[in-house]
Amino acid sequence: MNGDTSPDIAFEAHGVSRSFGATRALDTVDFDLRSGEIHALVGENGAGKTTLAKIVAGALRPDSGTLRLFGETYTPRRRSDGSAAGVAHVRQQLSLVRGLTVAQNIELGRPRALGDSGWRPWPRPFNARAARAEVERLAAELDLAVPADELVDGLPLAVRQQAEILISLAWGARLLILDEPSSALGPLETDALISLCLRLRDEGTPIIYISHRLPELARLADRLTVLRQGHVVTAGRDVHDADLRRIAELMIGDISLLDVERPALEPGEVRLDADGLHLAAEHGPGLRDVSLRVRAGEIVGVVGVAGNGQDELAGVLTGQMRPDAGTVCVDDIDVTGSPAAAIGAGVALLPEDRTAGLAADFSLAENLIARRVADSEFARLGVRLRKAVQRHARALAGRFDVRPPEPALRAGSLSGGNQQKLMAAREMERNPAVLVAAGPTKGLDPHAGRAIRDRCFEAAGRGGAVVIISADLDEVAELAQRVVVLSGGRVTDRFGVEEMTSARLGAVMAGLAWDPAGETGHPETGSGVPE
Amino acid sequence: MGKLAELTFWTATISGGLRLATPLIFASLGETIAQRAGVLNIGLEGYMIIGALTSLYVTVESGIAVGLLAGALSGAVLALLMVWLCVRLNANQVVVGFGLTILGVGLTGYIFRLTTPLGAERRQVNILGEIHIPGLSDIPFLGEAFLSNSWMTWLAFGLVPIVWWVAQRTVFGLEVRAVGEDPDAAFARGVDVIRVRSLATLLSGLLGGLGGAAITTALVGVFEPAITAGRGFIALIVIIMVRWSAWGVAVGSFAFGLADALGANLRNIVSDSVPTEALQMIPFFVALVILIIGARRARMPKSLGFNYVPDR
Repeated sequence: MNGDTSPDIAFEAHGVSRSFGATRALDTVDFDLRSGEIHALVGENGAGKTTLAKIVAGALRPDSGTLRLFGETYTPRRRSDGSAAGVAHVRQQLSLVRGLTVAQNIELGRPRALGDSGWRPWPRPFNARAARAEVERLAAELDLAVPADELVDGLPLAVRQQAEILISLAWGARLLILDEPSSALGPLETDALISLCLRLRDEGTPIIYISHRLPELARLADRLTVLRQGHVVTAGRDVHDADLRRIAELMIGDISLLDVERPALEPGEVRLDADGLHLAAEHGPGLRDVSLRVRAGEIVGVVGVAGNGQDELAGVLTGQMRPDAGTVCVDDIDVTGSPAAAIGAGVALLPEDRTAGLAADFSLAENLIARRVADSEFARLGVRLRKAVQRHARALAGRFDVRPPEPALRAGSLSGGNQQKLMAAREMERNPAVLVAAGPTKGLDPHAGRAIRDRCFEAAGRGGAVVIISADLDEVAELAQRVVVLSGGRVTDRFGVEEMTSARLGAVMAGLAWDPAGETGHPETGSGVPE
Repeated sequence: MGKLAELTFWTATISGGLRLATPLIFASLGETIAQRAGVLNIGLEGYMIIGALTSLYVTVESGIAVGLLAGALSGAVLALLMVWLCVRLNANQVVVGFGLTILGVGLTGYIFRLTTPLGAERRQVNILGEIHIPGLSDIPFLGEAFLSNSWMTWLAFGLVPIVWWVAQRTVFGLEVRAVGEDPDAAFARGVDVIRVRSLATLLSGLLGGLGGAAITTALVGVFEPAITAGRGFIALIVIIMVRWSAWGVAVGSFAFGLADALGANLRNIVSDSVPTEALQMIPFFVALVILIIGARRARMPKSLGFNYVPDR
């Protein structure tokens, strides 16, 4: 113990810097976490949040600066040192091992006592019964439905996340770092996460909560620190006094995040007409009598908790899945169940999983001509015209602001936002008749998110029919004119975006009937907006 | 053909099958651990043959116990190359594996030629005798067929539950499975992926070498070039057939051993009208069908054959 540190400070970083090559990810950063608080760490992608989190967790060593944990000097050399000292880092990419159960995961990599190298002359038996009992006891204590004996592969993301938090606590975590924990959760799951965090805080576990969803932080965090380009812009501000708009401005510097300018779009004739879609799915509800009609210049948001038929809808609309019943027509051409026909009719897809939409090991240039490899523009007698391909890549990457616009670069080496822009560049190079975008701005920083949003508006502005499938209500609110709610594979509500209230959405997304008592709204049939 | 009905034919075939299964069991048990950890040792044949040569040469000088140990260690030395090239330096596992097989076969052939007088074709030691278990080994048929083995065979089958226990009931076994399934997540959990994979590969080398040693020192008593005759590859097939299960390895190896013994014994008794190759095939088919139907539950380690590169 050291006298000059107040005992209610759980963690403290002083003058911490860390560089990667020439990039200075953190520049003399000060940060402190009080015991019994949730401290939000916000900032754009690349602002240094994750670097700081990794330093706290022990996965990275700072180039300079000092750390103190629970009043003592803290110099972890690796992640396991951090776990042994009671720091748990729950990342976006969850680290439960597939092929093992939750109970088996609890034992895997469990921190050892200090000074124990882990070497044993004989293998240590794994006590399955004790591990299972531990999971069940903690699940009961935390009021979580985490099954001990199921393989983690089949568990929903939210449950896997809960399992990981549970395991952290079992390992003796006294400080939690949650990195973008809500980015893949639906609203109800996010609510559950927030109440779990509040409960843990009240029981004395301080939390560093990384997110760029400001409204969520307002419900949960006590204090807030803003990072921008490796610097602390605002340190430890009390959330309840803070002006969220001002925070958003601080985060990104110049542009305003919360007020999106929506271009005026005039809906024209129907371009996408999906009628009576049925699809039985192996997991989840599939699709049950889903109809969707989208006009030129119209952006329709499909909202719902993940796993309620969204993937199937995206698959069917783009021809990649064949529905058991129903048809999909684009400009009166039947494209049902045929990806080739859909592409021919001008259907573009931005899949939610970027790795599914890009060839990570191919260059930017190769990815950009992926739909048109045999075009006479790019190939003569089957030999690729390298110069033309490069020129095309440079022009397109420039137009869609892919950074860096270097044709020979591996697509996988781009940041998430730039991968998304690259994919958008390929898909929207020629004005698509129909654009299906699943979670298009998910996980992007406000800058990149804004760029992608503008592309969606542009696609609609040029007469395309745009479908945004997303669990992120803010994203839908910013983009869509009309909203369709998907629950249990059915369309349970339709309304204009101006009628979108959290109460209404919460009810219908949970599969409850919308009772507009006291609210203006249209029961059951929705608002009367045509399909 | 009347001999087929005689009990002695089957007694000889079954005890021969157990004998021939012995090197396969050692090699496949080690390789099961390595593959569960995600490392595909196509060089298993190389581990075996180097173990076969080393153990015979050392046995001549220092006796069988030291000889077997030396055989196992020589396999591990070759596996160390695998660890260094693939687990540490991320070379392609298949390419290095074939390289190690060629290296093992070539090197042992070369050493054999260097140390053997011109004209001699083989090196010999006395093979292990059967252990006679009073009472049990005397049981008619059952005792003679199943319970009259050399202690090397007993050791091989005795290793089966131990390997099963390590894989299924210990923390090391969990780590092995974790790094073979999902090395990125395992690393994030705090498992030292490189260390676990290295250990698993070395175990495969040790047991592969011991399997080779079992051929020369315990079963045949002879070394000649290419004596392992592809048993390293058969072991790889056994593992896939029984889907990475230790108990399955015992059954699968016995099935192949039985097939070997049956083919050899049938050759002596059937008329020339039936090609011996055809006869040798029948039990293979039977074994295949039984095993494919029998062991469905386990699945292939997801990262088998893929190197782990931390923090890409």
